[in-house]
Amino acid sequence: MNTPAYTLDARAADATAPTPHLPGDLAIWIFILAELLAFGVFLVAYAFARSGDVAGFDARQLGLDRDAGAINTVLLLTSSFFVVRATQAVAAGACARASGWLVGAIGCGLGFVVIKVFEYAEKFGAGVTLSSSTFDMFYLSLTFFHFMHVLLGLVILAALWLGTRQRRYGPDNMNGIESGAAYWHMVDLVWLILFPLVYVMR
Amino acid sequence: MKYKSQAVAMPYFIAAIGLFVGQILFGLVLGLQYVVGDFLFPSIPFNIARMVHTNLLIVWLLFGFMGSAYYLVPEEAETELYSPKLALGLFWIFLAAGALTILGYLFVDYNTLASATGNDILATMGREFLEQPLLTKIGIVVVALAFLFNISMTMLKGRKTVINIVLLLGLWGLAVFFLFSFYNPTNLVMDKFYWWWVVHLWVEGVWELIMAALLAFVLIKVTGVDREVIEKWLYVIITLALVTGIIGTGHHYFWIGTPAYWQWWGSIFSALEPIPFFAMTVFAFNMVNRRRREHPNRAAVLWALGTGVMAFLGAGVWGFLHTLAPVNYYTHGSQITAAHGHMAFYGAYVMVVITIMSYAMPILRGRQANSNKAQVIEMWSFWIMTISMVFITLFLTGAGILQVWLQRVSEDPMPFMMVQDQIALFYWMRLWSGVGFAVGLVLYVVSFFIKGKEPEAVAA
Amino acid sequence: MMPPDPRPIHATPARALGVWTFLIAATLVTWLVGERGAHGPAVVALMFGLAYIKGSLIILEFMALRRAPLMWRMLTLGWLTSVCAAIAIAYWKGMNS
Repeated sequence: MNTPAYTLDARAADATAPTPHLPGDLAIWIFILAELLAFGVFLVAYAFARSGDVAGFDARQLGLDRDAGAINTVLLLTSSFFVVRATQAVAAGACARASGWLVGAIGCGLGFVVIKVFEYAEKFGAGVTLSSSTFDMFYLSLTFFHFMHVLLGLVILAALWLGTRQRRYGPDNMNGIESGAAYWHMVDLVWLILFPLVYVMR
Repeated sequence: MKYKSQAVAMPYFIAAIGLFVGQILFGLVLGLQYVVGDFLFPSIPFNIARMVHTNLLIVWLLFGFMGSAYYLVPEEAETELYSPKLALGLFWIFLAAGALTILGYLFVDYNTLASATGNDILATMGREFLEQPLLTKIGIVVVALAFLFNISMTMLKGRKTVINIVLLLGLWGLAVFFLFSFYNPTNLVMDKFYWWWVVHLWVEGVWELIMAALLAFVLIKVTGVDREVIEKWLYVIITLALVTGIIGTGHHYFWIGTPAYWQWWGSIFSALEPIPFFAMTVFAFNMVNRRRREHPNRAAVLWALGTGVMAFLGAGVWGFLHTLAPVNYYTHGSQITAAHGHMAFYGAYVMVVITIMSYAMPILRGRQANSNKAQVIEMWSFWIMTISMVFITLFLTGAGILQVWLQRVSEDPMPFMMVQDQIALFYWMRLWSGVGFAVGLVLYVVSFFIKGKEPEAVAA
Repeated sequence: MMPPDPRPIHATPARALGVWTFLIAATLVTWLVGERGAHGPAVVALMFGLAYIKGSLIILEFMALRRAPLMWRMLTLGWLTSVCAAIAIAYWKGMNS
């Protein structure tokens, strides 16, 4: 899996001129596109379901904890920033520094998970279920689907951290860390739309 | 053939083709019964013929999968099969059990069959596609476990390639999900809920892994493209298939008494189910375009490409047609479903099994590829069967649209049987397309008996 | 194995820090909107305008697609554009019904 993606395309590999380069593996990008498509359809479905029952959605939305949502946004953005710094460190040949940044990124990600778990506990206590209202169905489905991606992303970050500890990446071997980083940024990107749409827009 | 023990695949393939012929014969009987209701009544009533048609399909595909695994796993693992004797023994057990079950369907009253085979102890019969008597179901589990033991041991003692791992994952999943056929809640909604765990999670879940692995294997062999490249595609395809397919189960949970959120979950995720099939098509064509050699077995290449295209059309496009909850509200259980079912099963699973048989059979018979003449006949059979299936699907789709319109959409809906009269013309045309399919199948069988000189391999 | 591109693909730490600062500031605006319970098309337009810019920054800077082949920027930015556009249409539809 450490072969750079562009070897998938023989013509690109043949070119000698500096070619625009996709950071990370082609396979992970195809996967990211599929994920974005799934989230996109789900988010748009929410928007249109809301347009049929604005009052009902707005009433249920009031019950959400916007502070927790905003803190989670900050955590994800900061985590992504740390991952960027880790990638830059690897590109500069400083694997040890990269693993430090990754620890920070994982810490922020875990913070997101903890806050979300408290949020869910409170919601479940309040009787919110997939069937309690259409808004609740979307709120739970969208955030939980995203939550699962945060967990998967954390596993990937942990693998990257292990990789940096073992000095597996370097300026000549960026494919692994770039692929994992791209996936984590995707998790962030989706949340940037999800938060204003589900928590704030009225 | 690289390893002697791969030869056990041969009887499995032969049995698969034999049962395939039987399936199509019953398909023709059914097609005629749609328009001539009392044809063969009372000796083979419609419900029995339908049961035989669908059960034969499943059993011959299982024979095909097992044969493929016995051929593929040793070659990938670079070692002899763990126990060829066990494989051969299981073949005869499975064949005997399958034959007895079909004969039971045909010659014993279903109620008598049920009470004679222990259905009173544990009721599992009477559910569509899972009609097999308890004894047969237990037999399937035993055969499947012994089979999995055999190929898993083979893989463990040899090379662990991605193709082998994906194939085994699919086959283990097949066995595990079959266990839900023993769970038969009395609540009708719960019954259907878990019934789909077998039916859906087979054909839109773990079977897709088997299909992707088989296709990848044949593509490596006939194109000579780097394993690394093919494996990367395999990862992408199976992840997409599992993510969309597992939650996509929800598209069966519309309007049957399950919670309403399934309408959203099912619609959204199953709308994405065409993506892995599309990726498979792109994959197949991409690999063939970048081939490093001209494999002498052109028929196998044709089947491989055909699998990509027809699986995408049948499973992807025809599935999408009626997968959104508001559409399904009208089309649920109509002839549109039948249209989708026919092309999806043919395009995905029938064709992938034929692909690997087409590739492996000549090698099992001691040559790289069949003679040019035999290959031409085989390719004719490809086109005749595939085009006939396209027509079957189109006519059933026409029948389905008209049926939905007359029976469910119109201001003045007609009862089911009156609608059936109205769409009889479509059924007739479907029957003739079915005859065309049978002709193609006969040609396919004939192609095995054409002799001639083996074509030379050409280096690209 | 890297193609000989002299420019750093992952920008500089200072640039990343600048992007992060902007992202956090924009998030605070969104949070304030929620805090005040502000609503209506102007507020929503501002909020999703910011979300669009934030998303673009994630894609171009953090995912480092700024120098990637055009197709990949079109696919990802196209996703962001169409999702935001669809949300806008749905919001407008909800206002008028």
